[in-house]
Amino acid sequence: MSENGGDDPGKTGKTEAPKDEDSVPAGGGTESAKGAPSAEELRRRKDDEKRRLADKGVKPVLGRGGPQAPFRRQVDQEPKQRSLEVREAIRDELEAERKEGEAERGEKGGKGKKPRGRDIIRLENVFLKFDEPILEDISLVARDGETIVIVGESGTGKSTMLRLILRLLIPDSGKVLIDDRDISHLSFDEALEVRERMGMVFQGAALFDSMTVFENVAYPLREHTELTEDEIEARVKEKLEFVDLEPDRVMEQLPAELSGGMKKRVGIARGMANNAEIMLYDEPTSGLDPLTTGTITRLIMKLQRELNVTSIVVSHDIRSAFRMATRIALLAERHIKFFGTPEDMAASEDKYIRDFLGGS
Amino acid sequence: MPAFVSRLNAVAKDWVLGIQEYFTLAYKALRFIFARPFYGQDLVQQMDAIGVQSLGIVLLTGFFTGMVLALQSAVQLQTFGATMYIGRLVSASMIRELGPVLAGLMVAGRVGSGIAAQLGSMKVTEQIDALNTLGTDPIKKLVTPRVLASLIMLPVLTVINDLVGILGGNIIANRMFGLPTSFYWRTVWEQMAADGFTLRYIPNDFLQGLTKPFVFGGIISITACYYGLNTTGGTEGVGQSTTRTVVAASIAILIVDYFLTQLLLSVVGT
Repeated sequence: MSENGGDDPGKTGKTEAPKDEDSVPAGGGTESAKGAPSAEELRRRKDDEKRRLADKGVKPVLGRGGPQAPFRRQVDQEPKQRSLEVREAIRDELEAERKEGEAERGEKGGKGKKPRGRDIIRLENVFLKFDEPILEDISLVARDGETIVIVGESGTGKSTMLRLILRLLIPDSGKVLIDDRDISHLSFDEALEVRERMGMVFQGAALFDSMTVFENVAYPLREHTELTEDEIEARVKEKLEFVDLEPDRVMEQLPAELSGGMKKRVGIARGMANNAEIMLYDEPTSGLDPLTTGTITRLIMKLQRELNVTSIVVSHDIRSAFRMATRIALLAERHIKFFGTPEDMAASEDKYIRDFLGGS
Repeated sequence: MPAFVSRLNAVAKDWVLGIQEYFTLAYKALRFIFARPFYGQDLVQQMDAIGVQSLGIVLLTGFFTGMVLALQSAVQLQTFGATMYIGRLVSASMIRELGPVLAGLMVAGRVGSGIAAQLGSMKVTEQIDALNTLGTDPIKKLVTPRVLASLIMLPVLTVINDLVGILGGNIIANRMFGLPTSFYWRTVWEQMAADGFTLRYIPNDFLQGLTKPFVFGGIISITACYYGLNTTGGTEGVGQSTTRTVVAASIAILIVDYFLTQLLLSVVGT
């Protein structure tokens, strides 16, 4: 966690980051329309939170702490005491992220909030093995409109779980249920039907190089619907606008001409083009700068909030995980080590979880 | 079990599995020719990439091979005062062997490597997975048009290769050895007719000459798609797939050519 401490993007400063939050149109307007806190309100709450932390004498550690937070040195001086404080600071900060995300999603209550609706995705005791075991006894449920974030170290099989849900892989044992229907034994054509309900955003966006942005987003519509060309164009424009891209500017561009963040957004537009009910994201924020990371995170939350899409997000980024997740699953050593609300995760005393959150 | 035996076992298993996958891919690719949806636009694009764009390289190869063939055979035939047979020799060699094999090898190098690199890059950048998740069978969308385009275009390229090869022979025979053009072309036709006809009108030479490129077209495209779709390990993997495709397809063309020749000779005689 030290790389997130004193010497990281936090240098961009306390004042700049919130400014960015406001500048993106994804958040504010629609929330205030629903009676949820405005962007102004969010910023105020965030500042309050920071003041509260400062009063406790604890400096932020998760990236926005500014250059004046040399934790390493302090840990050396009073290891135990400092370690405790760091943990507390992390928890406080993550809690602030969670509250902020909750406010942005327009939820209230927080602790004890029951996930709503029916089960959309359910993994039951899933085992998967290639040359060596990848996943063991994995059980996970995503309910209607939930955003589940799967976190864990690299190479622990997080992306593999998405491939199981898409039925690109079949488990050795256990069940993968979509709407209570076990997809493990479906024929290829039946699996295609199930996949039509899902949108997947790949780590590198996986846009088709040889097609323009328009053709990329239109692809699922041309493949699976009987829409006319005019209807397709209207739908593509609508989706591109939803992901905050200017259709007229980007539609005729090739993926190679886009920046990383734009590619991800086009990837999201393509994933949702067919009005997907389930969105799967593989490392949606990896390789992006902190500002673009924020934009993509808000976009995922906007999808959940406005379209009630059920989402599963695989991520390394614990900060955005706390922001967007209704529940978090921590994958470690082929098992699900933790599955619960961000709040419970921040409060956990388990050593691995604490280490993972960066507090050891 | 000793270590080397278990290693041998693993290698053999991989090999057999690879062959099984190769033929499964071939079967699916051919079966999808008759399945809906049919990606007509992709087929036309591939026919252009595989056929039209390979024309230059095939024309050059055929022309110079025909010329060198005429030159070499004329030097030998001159000893016996038999330069009038240049046309027969060039025709037989080009139509039966060199036309199909050289066109095959050139296309394996140019098109096979291109297909493997393109599909390999799509694989490592998850575009193949994206196709799958968007409800498209990658074999139907990517492999079938390439295989079908190769099956159609390689025989066409071979006929062109044969023609310019014989034309190159004609130029050498005429300019360097004073053989009249009309006589040269008559001997070319005599050679084709001499080997008999199938179904009364199709010269057997031609039948041999067109069966081979059809098979080679299949070998090149399926090998390239197989290696492309099985690419792993990032850009380095793409490079490996490309190299493997060219090596495997070229060797397969030469080996299959021998057995195909044996088979065709036993079927149509001479």
